[in-house]
Amino acid sequence: MVWAARNALLIPVVAGTKNNVQRNFGTNSVNYSKKDEQSAPTHGISKETESQESVKENTKKDLLDIIKGMKIELSTVNVQTTKPSSRRQRKSVEATIGSLQKTLEDAPKKRTKSVSPELEAAASAVADFLRFDKQTTKSELLRQLQQHEEVSKTQKDGERTKISVSNIISDMKVAKSATGRVSTRPVHQIQFDEGTDSLMGQKTDDLKKSLRKNMLKGKRLNIFYLKTVTEEAPKTETAPSLWDVEFAKQLAMVNEQPLQNGFAEMIQWTKEGKLWEFPIDNEAGFDDDGSEFHEHVFLDKHLKDFPKQGPIRHFMELVTCGLSKNPYLSVKQKIEHIEWFRNYFNEKQDILKESGIRLN
Amino acid sequence: MAAVAARRWLRFRCKVCLTLTGQRAGPCGQAPNCRFYSGSATVPKVERANVTGIEEVVIPRKKTWDKVAVLQALASTVNRDTTAAPYAFQDDPYLIPTSSLESRSFLLAKKSGENAAKYIINSHPKYFQKDIAEPHIPCLMPEYFEPQIEDISEAALRERIKLKKVKASVDMFDQLLQAGTTVSLETSNSLLDLLCYYGDKEPSTDNHFQQSEKSEELEEAAEENNEKPKKANHQFGNLWRPENNAERIFALMPEKNSHSYCTMIRGMVKHRALVQALNLYTELLNNKLHADVYTFNALIEATALSAHEKPEDKWNNILELLKQMAAQKVKPNLQTFNTILKCLRRFHAFGKVPALQTFREMKAIGIEPSLATYHYLIQLFYHHENHSKGSSLIIYDIMNELTGRKFSPRDPDDDMFFQSAMRVCSFLRDLELAYQVHGLLNTGDNWKFIGPDHRRNFYYSKFFSLLCLMEQIDVTLKWYKDLIPSVFFPRSQTLIDLLQALDVANRLEVIPQIWKDSKEYGHTFRSDLKEEILMLMARDQHPPELQVAFANCAADIKSTYESQDGRQAAPEWPANSLNSIAVLFLRAGRTQEAWKMLGLFKKHNKIPGNKLLNEFMDSAKASSSPAQAIEIVKLAGTFSLPICEDLARRVMADFAISQEQKEALGNLTSLTTDSDSDSDTSEGK
Repeated sequence: MVWAARNALLIPVVAGTKNNVQRNFGTNSVNYSKKDEQSAPTHGISKETESQESVKENTKKDLLDIIKGMKIELSTVNVQTTKPSSRRQRKSVEATIGSLQKTLEDAPKKRTKSVSPELEAAASAVADFLRFDKQTTKSELLRQLQQHEEVSKTQKDGERTKISVSNIISDMKVAKSATGRVSTRPVHQIQFDEGTDSLMGQKTDDLKKSLRKNMLKGKRLNIFYLKTVTEEAPKTETAPSLWDVEFAKQLAMVNEQPLQNGFAEMIQWTKEGKLWEFPIDNEAGFDDDGSEFHEHVFLDKHLKDFPKQGPIRHFMELVTCGLSKNPYLSVKQKIEHIEWFRNYFNEKQDILKESGIRLN
Repeated sequence: MAAVAARRWLRFRCKVCLTLTGQRAGPCGQAPNCRFYSGSATVPKVERANVTGIEEVVIPRKKTWDKVAVLQALASTVNRDTTAAPYAFQDDPYLIPTSSLESRSFLLAKKSGENAAKYIINSHPKYFQKDIAEPHIPCLMPEYFEPQIEDISEAALRERIKLKKVKASVDMFDQLLQAGTTVSLETSNSLLDLLCYYGDKEPSTDNHFQQSEKSEELEEAAEENNEKPKKANHQFGNLWRPENNAERIFALMPEKNSHSYCTMIRGMVKHRALVQALNLYTELLNNKLHADVYTFNALIEATALSAHEKPEDKWNNILELLKQMAAQKVKPNLQTFNTILKCLRRFHAFGKVPALQTFREMKAIGIEPSLATYHYLIQLFYHHENHSKGSSLIIYDIMNELTGRKFSPRDPDDDMFFQSAMRVCSFLRDLELAYQVHGLLNTGDNWKFIGPDHRRNFYYSKFFSLLCLMEQIDVTLKWYKDLIPSVFFPRSQTLIDLLQALDVANRLEVIPQIWKDSKEYGHTFRSDLKEEILMLMARDQHPPELQVAFANCAADIKSTYESQDGRQAAPEWPANSLNSIAVLFLRAGRTQEAWKMLGLFKKHNKIPGNKLLNEFMDSAKASSSPAQAIEIVKLAGTFSLPICEDLARRVMADFAISQEQKEALGNLTSLTTDSDSDSDTSEGK
């Protein structure tokens, strides 16, 4: 029972610093992972735009693009056919295409249950509009429609069909990207479309990613050889010249950035020596030749030459006890202190003998 | 201190308990009421010791932690506050900068204050002797820049060299020579180092910050204009003078080793004495000495910079140097290749193949390229931005290679990479690539390589403009909230890009907010921005509540024009803005103010647009006030607008007007028809 208690007492002390430190470590790693997560959303944003989960968001925009492009060109018939799809969009979308809707006020508001005839009309209208391989576009669209018809029949909630419609229209956008488009959008938008289009044509995905030769690999100068470069030259120890010092200074300035938070500022102060060093404990600024606390505290081993029992032993144990509590003396000084008593008792050996006390 | 002592004592107490157990009960052996510490990781070990009766306890080594470990852990818990200015700017609220110009002067002011204090302390050290810090803080004490050794000796010379006193060192050297003392080779060499590095000029006194800023700006300007020679002249204003002290001392030195030659060559190249440097290299070879890698780097630079030679010849000379390096078993380093690539940029189209070969060479011999290496490649391959058709795709290879890597500074130009990579993204209009570059920037500590303020602004402006152009508006707005103002302050062009993106996505309702922001970021008097905002707001009809918001915004913008009148001598009211503001007031039902705007047209001698007048007529009709309608016709008459007649016709048709009013109208229209001929040319609206 006593043992257990003692163990319990000892272990925390020994492990105390360690645990503390581990805990710090723990937070550290957590923080790092947090950081990673933090950087992840930036990717996430880009991913999001492509990912199929957010098809709704994406296609909404695509759809809007298309509809905007159509605004002028479409005849009334086409406008009517596009109407159902636009009606199904959310309210915000309706607001965005408000001007378009205004012209559609008299269009039939009631939506028929089966969407296919409307969609077919829409598909042909869009194919007309695209003027790019009309037949293929139309047939592709219709094939997709057939696929989705099953779904729309089983699930009669409009949500599902909306997605499929959006899908189709967004697909159309991809198909037409090679053709030049007449558009009434602001000038910079047109520029950007043309820019991407021409670039897209230039770097069709295959070319860009896989088929193209990596420019960073290939023929080299063939002047140096790995062997001669890696083998260690006899290094002569010389003090760094002014050139080296100044170059190092320049390098240090490269990634100098304004401080990000108060802790970073404290780090800087610590490095400049203006701040008390963390962790704040009783060892700051206390340089004891690297001796550790147990050398300060366990001084019993220095009592080997003293009697195992008796008043001298008792006295010396009190001395070591006192010394081990003293934070101001270095280990060396403590040992010297014990040495002094050893010499003292040795000198007074005759007196001790008289009093019947054995030193050894 | 008492608590500290107690803590030590507690540790001791528990330790002693264990070591003494088994021998005898110590004074505190029966003290199970000692404090209990939780989290005992070493329990099994000690229990075993207990069972076997071994008294020796294995004491775990104390872990020593870096002095900043705790702070680093804490610092990593702090994320950027997207709603506040960066930490470096957090000060007295009045001083917190709200525009890039202000932030720049803020930083400069802060730094120059520091420099001034340092200067005072260092030039009057005797007044700053009191050391109040305990323990002593060396960095707060004055540094001694005055030489302490008075007599003429080599030690005194060394001290002057160490303190970078160029002139004093040269004087001391001369005095030593006159006294007949020979200066050791080592000391002479370090004197040469000093003279060559600073080009025989006193190093500028400790205002590094200003100096570097200046050179950076020049560099920036040079880069934008692609005027390299100008840059060279400016940046190296300190040119190598023939017969300077360095050359004199070099000639006086009784014995010279390769270090003497090398430092001379490097100094000559640094201060643009290219021909001398190449000649000295020949001399070095004649003396059967060897140059080190740094000297070769300097020589490569000299070869590339030398004038009156074709790129082909220069490239062959560089190759020749490299071959000599290989023959002399001089190991090339990162700077060797970076120098080559940096110089190849000047060869434009010719440089592309050699640059790629050089790059492959450095990879093949195991020298890891630094960010600057990639920066040079990008600059070389995307030099002519206008040739969009044949633009290189090397950036994709570079980004594929770099993604996910973390960097440490290895070249002074490392901080240029992100800027040039983002420039290419923006020029290729590749959003995905831009996200990739941005991802790389946010990997590890790479964000530190974004460079000084202006480069960060450039990077983020390009990035954000690209977002405005290509990204969905919701995502763009998310980025807007995220980046501004905690990362950078937008330029007016950035905001105009955002406005256009809003226009494309039909999200005009955000405009009043954008106007508020732009006022905050110091664009209150940017008329191009204001005109864009007004134009977008006034172009279409909107729901009433939005119109009210727009009218408030328009009133605010109007007030800036008026306060500008007071501020500047030349009141400039663009006709477009007047039109837009008046229309916005009208649509929001603020007829009074709209009418006041009409007065401003007269005052500033601007002509209201037809559309505006028609809208006024609509409003008059809505309030069925023929007086107002006639007023409009009158106004059109005073400007002699051709629309006057149409308006008059409308008044006749739409309003119930009295006979007098009819007559008045008749007069007006006849007036305008008379003056039509000469007013036709003047009006364009």
